[in-house]
Amino acid sequence: MKKTLFLFSAAAALVAMVSFSSCRKDPLKDMTNEESRIYITNHDNSANFTSYSTFSIVDSVVVLTNRSDSAKKALTDYDKKLIASVTASMQQRGYTLVNKAAKPDLGVNLTRIDNSFTNISWNPGWWGGIGYWDPGYWGYPGGGWYWPSYYTVYQVNEKQVAVDLFDLKNPKNNKLTAVWNALWRGSGVWNIDNIDTMVQASFAQSPYLSKTK
Amino acid sequence: MKKIRNWILIFAGCMAAQTVSAQVRPPLSVDINYSIAQPLGSLKDYSDKTSFRGWSAGLQYMLNNQLSVGIRTGFQDFYQKLPRAVYPDKMGDVSAVQTRTLQVIPIQATVGYAFTKPDKAIIPYASVGIGAANMNYEKYWGEFVEKNNSWQFMVSPEIGINVPFGKASPVMFNANVRYNYAPYSYSDITGFNSVQGNIGLKFHLN
Repeated sequence: MKKTLFLFSAAAALVAMVSFSSCRKDPLKDMTNEESRIYITNHDNSANFTSYSTFSIVDSVVVLTNRSDSAKKALTDYDKKLIASVTASMQQRGYTLVNKAAKPDLGVNLTRIDNSFTNISWNPGWWGGIGYWDPGYWGYPGGGWYWPSYYTVYQVNEKQVAVDLFDLKNPKNNKLTAVWNALWRGSGVWNIDNIDTMVQASFAQSPYLSKTK
Repeated sequence: MKKIRNWILIFAGCMAAQTVSAQVRPPLSVDINYSIAQPLGSLKDYSDKTSFRGWSAGLQYMLNNQLSVGIRTGFQDFYQKLPRAVYPDKMGDVSAVQTRTLQVIPIQATVGYAFTKPDKAIIPYASVGIGAANMNYEKYWGEFVEKNNSWQFMVSPEIGINVPFGKASPVMFNANVRYNYAPYSYSDITGFNSVQGNIGLKFHLN
């Protein structure tokens, strides 16, 4: 009987040890909202960023959700600040803000993507360029967006923000080319207090995006 | 109960089969150790923090006073969080706080050799474990994880000491140093190398 007890206690100790293995350090519990976010930037290697002088930016932000087919345009405080922050960064890089009627060299599209209520992989509509800031807005009716193959489609299943920069000067086959893109993912990307940090980080990691360099 | 008695009889039979003149303690033992591991080589480049989250446990059977065979398992969690940095990708650049983790669960057969007779106050030994290890790679980019789980061959030579709590005590203090190698290659890791320090207890079951 004593032997059995001994075996049992040894087994119990083993079980305790095994359950300890689930007590691995959990990275998600060791992370602030700021640390949870990632900022992804892509660019067209063949684009000559010094060849552009002027830009224009959309007057509101597109909100894409998986709960409705059509995109909505919004102008919340967040959106106003986002427009102002991206504009300021573009100006810091030497580009001049002009009205879109003045034939700018670059167009900036802003998109908030809310796909938090599904885990289905979804290719966002903005990638195809249909349904919101269509090329017609920029003065190219009938055309579309041309996304070069270097663009990675990151899987979307939470709130994100995208900043897309298009070359309005050199349409390819009646399509406008995307030359730069920033995508923000993680906790708090829709929080107004984080806009400046996210914009600054995206521009800081894209030194090539400059009129003078 | 009957089954246990049968097992004990089998072990007793094995014992009788040994030409052991003086059996100091029963041949079957269980050991449980707390483990600290230091990553080396490319594993250190991936995650360079010493891991204080680990354990090792095994069963051993003494074939004679010096030679033993057994089985062993364990767990070790490697973890390192890096400050925000920009990582160039094939396609673009990603700014992220990376948390690099690797969880290792080995399952190995062991062969051990004691350098002294079992009646000594300190029993130094050497052993080697050969088997497989489950490698759970999880690299977090912010809150987004890149995962890979696989099994690898793993070999682990070890040297250590057993210190009995009294001359013929079935309980011994165990301390050892173990080197783990696995030809594991994934992403930044081009080979798994670690040095592990273990302390624990070994119980001979009678």
